[in-house]
Amino acid sequence: MLSKLSRFSWTMFAATLLLIACGTIAIKSAGAARADAVFHTMWKSNLWTAAVGLALYFALAFADYRKIVKWCAMPAYVVAVAMLAAVLAFGTSRFGGRRWLWFFQPSEVAKLCVIALVARLASSSRLPLGLVKERFSGFALLSLVVALPIALILLEPDLGTALVLVPAVVMVFFTGGVWRTGLVALLSAGAVSVALVLGAVHEAEKPGVAPERREAILRFVPLREHQVRRVKVFLFPDEDIHDSGYTLRQAKISIGSGGLSGKGIGKGESNHLKYLPQAISMNDFIFCVWAEETGFIGSAALIALFALVILPGVFVAYRAEDGTGRLLALGLTTLFFAHVFINIAMSLGLVPITGLPLPFISSGRTFLVTMMASLGMVQSVSIYGGSSAVQEYPQNNERT
Amino acid sequence: MIRTERIVSDVTVVSAGIAFAAGLVLLGVKLKSVQVDSAAAYNLEKSRQSTRLVQTAAPRGRILDRAGRVLAENRRAFSIVLFPETFQRKTLEGTVSAITGALSAVSRTIGADIPASVSDVERIRRHLVRSQALPYRVLRDVDESAVARLFEHGDELPGFGCVEEYERRYPGGSLAAHVIGYVGREEADGVTGDEKINFREKELAGRSGMEACCDAYLRGVSGERRLTVDARGFMVREEELRPAIQGPDIVLTLDAALQRAVERQLAGRRGACVVMDAKDGAVLALASAPAYDLNSFVPYLTHDRYFALTNSADRPLVNRATASAYAPGSTFKPITALAALAAGADPEEKYLCCGFFEYGTMTLSCSRRWGHGELDMVEALRDSCNPYFAELGMMAGTNLLFETARKFGLGSRTGIDFQIDAAGLVPDGQASAGRQWWPGELAHMAIGQDRLLATPLQMAVVAGALGTGRLATPRINSATKPRLRPLQVPVEHLEIVREGMRRVVGRNGTGSAGAEGVKAFVIGKTGTAEVGSHANRRKNTWFIAYARANEESGARARASKAEVAVAMVVENGESGGHTTAPRVAAVLREVFN
Repeated sequence: MLSKLSRFSWTMFAATLLLIACGTIAIKSAGAARADAVFHTMWKSNLWTAAVGLALYFALAFADYRKIVKWCAMPAYVVAVAMLAAVLAFGTSRFGGRRWLWFFQPSEVAKLCVIALVARLASSSRLPLGLVKERFSGFALLSLVVALPIALILLEPDLGTALVLVPAVVMVFFTGGVWRTGLVALLSAGAVSVALVLGAVHEAEKPGVAPERREAILRFVPLREHQVRRVKVFLFPDEDIHDSGYTLRQAKISIGSGGLSGKGIGKGESNHLKYLPQAISMNDFIFCVWAEETGFIGSAALIALFALVILPGVFVAYRAEDGTGRLLALGLTTLFFAHVFINIAMSLGLVPITGLPLPFISSGRTFLVTMMASLGMVQSVSIYGGSSAVQEYPQNNERT
Repeated sequence: MIRTERIVSDVTVVSAGIAFAAGLVLLGVKLKSVQVDSAAAYNLEKSRQSTRLVQTAAPRGRILDRAGRVLAENRRAFSIVLFPETFQRKTLEGTVSAITGALSAVSRTIGADIPASVSDVERIRRHLVRSQALPYRVLRDVDESAVARLFEHGDELPGFGCVEEYERRYPGGSLAAHVIGYVGREEADGVTGDEKINFREKELAGRSGMEACCDAYLRGVSGERRLTVDARGFMVREEELRPAIQGPDIVLTLDAALQRAVERQLAGRRGACVVMDAKDGAVLALASAPAYDLNSFVPYLTHDRYFALTNSADRPLVNRATASAYAPGSTFKPITALAALAAGADPEEKYLCCGFFEYGTMTLSCSRRWGHGELDMVEALRDSCNPYFAELGMMAGTNLLFETARKFGLGSRTGIDFQIDAAGLVPDGQASAGRQWWPGELAHMAIGQDRLLATPLQMAVVAGALGTGRLATPRINSATKPRLRPLQVPVEHLEIVREGMRRVVGRNGTGSAGAEGVKAFVIGKTGTAEVGSHANRRKNTWFIAYARANEESGARARASKAEVAVAMVVENGESGGHTTAPRVAAVLREVFN
């Protein structure tokens, strides 16, 4: 047990606890500005959820991930997909998407399940049906595994959650050696098409373009009208500041006016005077609340805490002897990083606005528990998958 | 193979770690540029969107008479207002209907009717769109019991409050109404030249009289208040940056007691009277009758009262003393006499008045139908003989007659420091409308009829000039410097006219009532100007007088060596001597006895 505790990543754990503390403070601040009293006590329910998440964290950390992945990955995946289907049938709609099944969001849980299953499949030497993972056929099978839940999530619709899976899955595929050459080609093609889409929208939306010409250009762009608007805001943040550019502008004013040391906790004006749209100040744009109230010092500290979760996560993956453990740790860490990076970058206007929560800071119970669980699994890899652990494993087994 | 695979995998993981670290560093760098380097710019942008500057109204200065008696002052008034932020709903329409509902509730509770203009949906909407950060005024200048009821029911009526403002108060009511003038609310709101100011409280603005003349002076310095507004524009908090400073007082040359006496003399009549200090042009009393109660304009003039004032045949809003030009009638005769003297007329030469004056087909009759018989200039002035002065006017000619009239300031503005200063009319010497004057017309103008027009204020100046030999520029604000010009008339000519005017108020004079019981040296001249067509013939009766203290005068008048000029006109009178002269005598007694 002592050796397990020594292999447990205390840095990551401490950073996680501090992040939960910061998140609770930010949720309290953001909630206080809301008219509805339900939001005033949201921070308490965040703490309770964190307690549940923490229990799950330890349970998963001190359970051997190899067994879990071996026995549970497939059933969990099936259950997750079933729940995603159930959401589309019976779910509750809020904020323009049918995403809730009673009180929880299956799409969050699905992220974890997909990565676990993909990690398991990509690390095995043989795929079902005799397919070979180094070939296109293997890639196709794995892609199908990923594509099914993503398609269901896109139907909700929840573009952000669907997109955030892509980097994690690509990372797992590439590290796991799934059709690498093809993957590189696909990624390059993807990068080129993103560049083309951005260029096309830029061309269509730049000032002084005739409406007919704009129509003609946008006909070749595979985006819906509201997505085009978001890309436009990203490209031209100073236009339309009262309409589609409003949120981004208020986000930047909020962050920028924080200055070096911030306005003080609970004193963020953008939030309290409701300039930050209320519907998103507790979720996707909670970083703005934190940044205004704690300033550059606080928000840089927050990024440092995220680094103390992400970099140990990568180190766990690096150290892992076992392929599944490596892919699992790397996939989950990448998922975590993608959330952090995309969320903060969109608040700063570095990427187009996508609805994604900030781990441990945004309110959202399913998301918090999922993130705790996935970091718990990374801890499990740290304990059971390390090079020393692999050697010790038989001894431990003998003892028990 | 396995070995290579492991290396590739390791390299991927390490690169991922480096990429993640780089991503986080990128966020940090961008964060620094936004939060540290551009903090000032974003803070400015934030304050621009979330603060509104309000220019607050300053209380006006007071208006005092020469002895410091208050003619216009401020009183505290309470207005009931509604704070829109209490009623905010998701939509504008929701907020509007919440406000309308609350308005009828507050009307029931405090038992006061809310004006239809206030509960007008369109107006509420406009307020919300343009200035919802400001309180919405429900009732202006309510009495204290209504305020008390509002506070008693404060729990049932959230979102209502009471603001203290200043309203104008005129202790004298209608006293010197035309001099003091009234105020109104500014029309424009939210529009200022200063771009930093978002809203402007409506200030009281002078609309007439001294309130209008000295408006900029009386207004004082407005204050500044900063509101913090939320994203929907509702006020969250406010702080006072700079308090408003009350405007300075103005001291008038008026004497409230004398003004009251003058108004008493005009009571029930239409007319006007100006009493001027002949030494320095200070207007001691300036009255126009009928007048109106200035307090009826506070807090605002209702439509009914406005129409009553404007539709009245008496035209109470017109300041007859400075705005109405009347034919001066016989009060013009001293000027005709001076013009003739300048033309070389012999004042002692006797003229035979047969009761009429004929020129061609034109006949001009005398006040005494059977004629005055033989008279010289002094006697002609005393008896106000029309044929005599018609003859003198013909002798002097148009040029000289009008030139002399102009020397007394007739036909041009007096230059008084007041808003209204009518010029009257002295026709062009050579011709009017491109034709020569008929000699008959000249004869009429010589006795102050036909084209000649003068205001009572101008005639007071004339009376003063006849008495002192100096033409004063009348002034009503004590801060204005006195201005006197020597009259370009030989003193010996003036003495002859003064002698005639002294006889006017003497025994058997046409204006003997004008000095009755007045313990002072008085000279005067009556006037009875006929106006209107034959069917609608009316007489405007004049009396002008100059008086100075002598040894009989009261102590105060003697001590101040009082010298006053008076001009009074009473519309539809009987004659200058009967109607107006006794009233002027009463005024003079007020000054000298």
